[in-house]
Amino acid sequence: MNNWEIFTWITVFILGFGSVAVFIFFVKDIKEILKKFNKK
Amino acid sequence: MHEIATIDYIIIALYLAGMIGVGLWFAKKHTDFEDFFLAGRSLTTPLLITTLISTYYGIDVLFGDSQLGFTNGVVAWFAYARPTYAFFLIAAFLLARRLKEENFKTLPDILDKYYGKKTRYVGAVTSFIYSLPALSLYGFGMLGEVILGWEPILGMLVLGGIALIYTLTGGFWAVALTDSIQFVLMCVVLAMAFPFAMKLIGGFDTMVEVLEPSYFDTMGDLSIWLIIIYASTGLSILVEPTFYQRIFAAKSYKNVRNALVIGIFIWGSYDWIITILAMAAKVAVIQGTLPFDVAPDAALLTVMVAALPAGALGLFMAGVLSTEMSTLDSYCLVAGGNVAYDIYKPAFKPDATDQELIKTTRHGILLSWVLGFAMAISFDQMLGLWVFMASILISSVMAPILLGMYVPSFRKPLAGFLSAGLGLVSTVILNIYIMTQGVYSAEEETFIIQWFGIDFMQEFIMYITVPISLISFFVGVVFDKGEPS
Repeated sequence: MNNWEIFTWITVFILGFGSVAVFIFFVKDIKEILKKFNKK
Repeated sequence: MHEIATIDYIIIALYLAGMIGVGLWFAKKHTDFEDFFLAGRSLTTPLLITTLISTYYGIDVLFGDSQLGFTNGVVAWFAYARPTYAFFLIAAFLLARRLKEENFKTLPDILDKYYGKKTRYVGAVTSFIYSLPALSLYGFGMLGEVILGWEPILGMLVLGGIALIYTLTGGFWAVALTDSIQFVLMCVVLAMAFPFAMKLIGGFDTMVEVLEPSYFDTMGDLSIWLIIIYASTGLSILVEPTFYQRIFAAKSYKNVRNALVIGIFIWGSYDWIITILAMAAKVAVIQGTLPFDVAPDAALLTVMVAALPAGALGLFMAGVLSTEMSTLDSYCLVAGGNVAYDIYKPAFKPDATDQELIKTTRHGILLSWVLGFAMAISFDQMLGLWVFMASILISSVMAPILLGMYVPSFRKPLAGFLSAGLGLVSTVILNIYIMTQGVYSAEEETFIIQWFGIDFMQEFIMYITVPISLISFFVGVVFDKGEPS
């Protein structure tokens, strides 16, 4: 495995797991926001 | 055209229905204009990351980056994408805090505070033109054709129409929420695509063997002047209306800073994978797996259709649609805000109520969509239009905003008006002149005109218009004898 390929796998990992992690935090926040809207 | 399974169509249909559902859910829930336009200034870090990334990554990046990756290799990432991250860092640590300190709602708000109403209107016109969704609608035409086999106009009307509906009804809340769903879809699907593409071409080592060594040269074989221009397009981040809107909509400065710093890693990964997938497409062409005449800007889409299995392909297509929808909705909303908040309210109805502003913003969104559609079907050559729209923003509002922000003694009305006005006018005139009097070069994929014995490309216009804007600014500073704002 050359350096280009290692770098590519690192970016695949960041993009895949990173975006899912951000989305999980987003879901936590959005629950609060939707509650606020439902109260309105 | 390759086989697309029923499951792929079902996934796409579910995705599109979901987007409309979000917009309709928010339709009657806005209490005031700030809630409609800035989501009540309550965006947290995760929401900022998702909406920033999905907005900036439109079809131009997906196809623009991949086109360069397909024809030139890794230089697409090193020279075109990478400099942008430096500008994001500047924005995170130097710009966002200052912008967040004031209670601005739009980019022209800043110009109004520093230089007065006249400059506000020039900024509003610039921002409106820049935000017209012509490129996004053109992209929908292309996607409809490649993915669904539709006529381009049908793709623009149906796919662009869905993004229009949820933006009109749901405002910024709908945009931010749909952006978040679109964000995870586009990122995960792209990450997932890499192993499939490698399987198609026989692995990464095959790519290194088959491609010319210049494909792995970090500066490729592009001219230094073109690299400087590509790199400087990243400057637009510093005065980007949708970027500013997200800063204003954030809960606090810390949320913006954290979102940008985390976002850079995701942006970088996204750009890199697109570049590698485009290079894999080139290998597939050399190997004969893909047709030899595949268009460079359609290479990414074509290799994915060839590499991905049923179901995954539907997700990928929904991801590609997401990429474009999240861009179109954000720009339409900003353009609508320019009409209502930056022109209608100060010029015609200073006492407009929030409900009137929301209504006028919706009219503005519709207007921008219609104008963007007219442009998308009128221009055969979209690259020139893209260059025009990017150069107009940098040449008009960058100097007055940044200089006014950091040097309060420069905030003189004449300086702002001359700089923004002459920057705007010179960019429009020069672009039209080169596109009508120049010759389109298929090799360089741009308009070229002969000036003083040199081939002057349309991309080089900023080398003239930015100095015009800067010089006009300092002329205004010298000749305006009044006190700074």
